[in-house]
Order: sequence, then C-alpha cells, then structure tokens
Amino acid sequence: MAISIKESIVAGVTDFWSRKIRSAVTILGILLGTMSIIVVLSLVNGIYSTTTAWMTERGGLTKIAIDNNREYDNAQNLPEYFTLQEIELIKSLIPEATAVNPQMSSWLSMSYRDKKENGLLMGVYPDYALVEEWTADRGRFINDFDVNQSADVVVIGTKIRDELFGSKNPLGQFITINDRRLQVIGIMEHKFLKNNGIGNANALGWMNRRALIPLSTMIHKGTGQDHIEELTVKAASPEEAIDLKYKLEAILLNLRAGQPVFRIESNMEQAEEMQKNFQTMRIIIFFISLVSLFVAGIVISNIMLATVQERTREIGIRLAVGARRTDIFIQIVVQTIIIFIIGGFIGVVVGLSLLSVVSGYLGQPIIAARWVIITAVASTLCVGAITGIFPALKACNLDPIKALHYE
Amino acid sequence: MNGIIEISGIEKEYRMGKITVPALRGIDLTIMQGEFVAIMGPSGSGKSTLMHILGCLDTPTSGDYFLDGEKISAMKKSKLAAIRNSKIGFVFQTFNLLPHLNVQKNVELPLMYSGVSPRKRAARAREVLSDVGLGDRLRHKPSELSGGQRQRVAIARALVNNPAIIFADEPTGNLDSVSGSDILTIFSNLHAKGHTIVMVTHDSAVATRASTRVNIVDGLIG
Repeated sequence: MAISIKESIVAGVTDFWSRKIRSAVTILGILLGTMSIIVVLSLVNGIYSTTTAWMTERGGLTKIAIDNNREYDNAQNLPEYFTLQEIELIKSLIPEATAVNPQMSSWLSMSYRDKKENGLLMGVYPDYALVEEWTADRGRFINDFDVNQSADVVVIGTKIRDELFGSKNPLGQFITINDRRLQVIGIMEHKFLKNNGIGNANALGWMNRRALIPLSTMIHKGTGQDHIEELTVKAASPEEAIDLKYKLEAILLNLRAGQPVFRIESNMEQAEEMQKNFQTMRIIIFFISLVSLFVAGIVISNIMLATVQERTREIGIRLAVGARRTDIFIQIVVQTIIIFIIGGFIGVVVGLSLLSVVSGYLGQPIIAARWVIITAVASTLCVGAITGIFPALKACNLDPIKALHYE
Repeated sequence: MNGIIEISGIEKEYRMGKITVPALRGIDLTIMQGEFVAIMGPSGSGKSTLMHILGCLDTPTSGDYFLDGEKISAMKKSKLAAIRNSKIGFVFQTFNLLPHLNVQKNVELPLMYSGVSPRKRAARAREVLSDVGLGDRLRHKPSELSGGQRQRVAIARALVNNPAIIFADEPTGNLDSVSGSDILTIFSNLHAKGHTIVMVTHDSAVATRASTRVNIVDGLIG
C-alpha cells in the first residue's frame, strides 16, 4: 500500500513543469558539470592518443635510440661516437634485437639539374627500414649489397622528390650531393601526422626531407671517418625493449670506461611514463569536475529545501490523507533525481556536440569514450541522489498537524 | 455493542520548554457506528487536540484508543498513516486542497496512496464528485471554485476511500451561511446513509444537526 515509483515520477515531472525558471536554472548547473567531465576527459584522451600515434609513427614502442649524452661533461674526451668495429661488437652482444641500425647524418644541399633543395643526408643500414617501420613505397630500399659495395645510390623522401623532380619520375635519375652523383633507387613512403594544433601542418614533414644512402658510402666516399653518432635498435616486443635498454646501458658503459657518454631512450619507457602522467591528469581533472558538480548539487539541495518549506502544507495534506513518510521521502528524492537526469542528459548531448565542434577546429576526431560518458552520467546521478536525500529527510519528518497549519 | 471509537483515560500533554501544558486530562468516549457526533467547546478547550488524536494525526500521552477494533494508541507512525488512509476521511476548515492539482486529482489523492490503479482511481473520484454535485467541475483547479464548492471537493476526497469514519474540523467556519448550510445538509445526508461523522465546532447552531453532542471544557468532557 504505497505510492509507486511511477507515481512519484509523474508527481515529480508535474512539479518540475510548474516551476519552469527554477528548474531551468538548476538544470543549467548540472548540465555544465556533466558537460565539463565529458569534454575535458575526452580532450585529455585525445591528446594522449595523438601522442601515442606520434610514437607509433616514430618506430613504435619497440624502438630504442642511442646518441651522445648532452648532459655529460666529457672531461676525459672520450669518443662520443661509435666506430664500425664497435657497432659490430654491440650487434654481436645483442642477438635478441630484431634490427640494429647505426646512422650518420648531415644537413646538405641536394641538386638535380638546375633545382636545389636542402635535406638531411643519412648514412644507414638496411635495418633502418625495420627500426623506423618506414620503407620505400616506390623503387626499393637500401640492401646489404649496396652497403658492401658502398654503392652510389640514394632513397629520397617525398619532399625532396617534389622539390627536385616535380611530377617527373625520379627513379634511375642522378642527384648531386657534395659533388657526388647518386642514383635514385627508391622513394620513401610519405610521412604524415596531423599537427595537434592550428591549421593542417604535418607534424612529421621534416622526415620527408631525408635522403638515405648506405652507411659505408657515407663513410668511405664522404667524411672518410667512421664517426657514427647514432644507433637505433629494435626489440622483439615492447616488454623486451626495456630489458634490452638496460643491457645496452651496461654494454655502452663498458665501452666508455664506465662513463655515461651515451644517452639511451626507449619509446616504451617514455610511453609508460606518459601513461602515468595522463592517468594523474585524468584523475585530477575528474575531481575538479566532480567538485563543480557537487557545488551544483549543493545549490540544488538548497533549492529543494526551500521547495520543501514552501510545500509544508502540501506535505501535511498528503500525510493527512494517508501518505507514509517513505512516500514523501521517495517523492522528493525522485524529484531531485529527475532534475539530475534531465540535466545530465542535456549535459551529455551538449558535451558531445561541443566535442565535435572542438574536433572540427583542431582538425582531428576527438571521440568521447564510452567509459567517459558512463563516468559522467554515474557521477551526476550519485551527486543527485546524495543532495536529494537531505531535503527529502526534512520533508518526511514534518509533523502532520504543524504542517497542516503552516501558513 | 462495541463502538466504532472507544477511548478511555486519554491524556495529552504538550511540553513547552520546562513547562508541561495539559491539553486533555482523561477523556472517556464511545462513538457508535452511524452516529453523528458534534464535539463542542470554546477555543483552547482541547477539542482540536482530541480530534487530532481521534484522526490518528497525533498520539496520546496516555490512555487507550480503539478504532474499529484496532488498538491505535500503541501504533507506529507508518501504521497510523495506513489507518488514516483506509479508515479515516478528513474535512478541514480551510479545505486543504492541493492548488496545482485539478478537482479530480485532488479527490484521487488518498486512492493513490492506497495503491489503486489510475483508471479505477479516476472512476471512483468521478463517482464521489457527482455524489456531491461536482460532476461537471472535474478539470477545474481549486482556485476556480467557490468556497462551498471547494469544501464539497474536500468532502468527496474524504469519502473516496469508503472510510469507517469522517472527521470534520469546523467545516463551515470559512463559508457564508448559505454555503455552510449546503455543506451541513451533505453531512446530514451522509449520516442518513449510515456514515459515522465526528464534527468539531464551536457553533451550537451547527451542532444541532448532530445526533449527539459532546462538550469539552478544559480538557475534560463537561
């Protein structure tokens, strides 16, 4: 013998409509709270996934990069580069690595007939394609034969191709770099990652300005010295990448009298660090949004208390005709929750629309994950229930006689 | 023969800080099925307190109260709500209708709390409203009705649950003499049909309609 939840909802909606302005203002508060949770959490996720996409484009989580340690004060004048002999030694010590690529590079002018373009000339091993997960999509990449023969061949990036050759087919043509004629044997895949900011800038555009030649060609026909500044290594899996990194650290310390002459960076380690940072960020932002939602909740609680005050006589009448205290309690809680459901629903809709506008502006899709929406809705409803309880308790504890005579 | 209401030794005290004010000082009363009782007395005599206790809105400090065979004086508040809902109909001086609900919805209210389905509620409310002559005012809001009409809505609400007893607290107090007389005629007709009615009034002219008169003076039956 009690009023059903359905009746409470009907009563709640009726009441909601009869106080339009008050309802609208309270809904606005909840709407903003829910919306901010969705928008901000999704933006953080968006930045996170862009950064992970960047890492994948730069060789994935299995890549380990070694170059000289700029923070090390090299007082003993230890060599800050590897020799070919050292590279072979290192390679023999890490058989578990799936690819090992030593590289030298130099920013140079490249020319074809009367056209000139600046680019980064890199001397590499065939493993370069494996380590960077980047290879030629026309023609072919450098192979072991090219390295053994110190062949005069070059694989160029799309930017260099566009500047030097335009629409002409560059394969088989010769370009001149440092007075040496090199035959174009391949064109690298076009690298592109949308810039996480204004306009349509390509965050990886600089990679398309690379020209790759065999490392031996670079040493024997270029500088003449095997001063190899960089070494990149690929592990079999992201987990193994961290072990391999520690192993390489030990090897390199041994090679340089225990001094940290080289810096070793693992993408996996960076990704884990980043993951941690983003997790912290998510939690902080979620709590800020939750606090703002609670502020809205307190305001609504206050309004509901005023409503209970205004409706004292009504509650007295209801009690006199046989409403139980639980009926009154449920009615008030349900009314509060209805406001939160409506506010939460509009908040989700507005939040998602706002995200699509922001996505359009940034030029990259930012999608609210299902857990983000669920988190936002669940926290809204929790706050609604918590803030609805207090006014409801006040209402259901009214003395029917006093309530009936309330003016 | 047992009465529909039997009370014995009912006392009620109000505490105001350190002072205890006695409102009822030991009341014994039996009201029989089908009786029309007028409870009279000057203001402050305790007649309203007695009606609140009889109407299960309040509990006595001491004494026994049986309503329709059930011991009310020992009941919990939630049980009292169920008793109010099923056995009691109230008519107040100030009508006490919900202003934002129309006439029919106001009358349906007690049925809602007893879990009657909406369709049955509507049918029953229309039936009682036409009994009190308001069958054509179902969709009106209370503010669109005259005082006499409002009180008839309140009577319909009191009757809708087929209560064992109807309590009326100065039902004509806010009405002009013509409307007041109409309302009293309705109560007389209900009495003639066998309803048990307890009416609180300070107006002896009103009390002449009742079959029994009970005078309360200083918290005792005088």
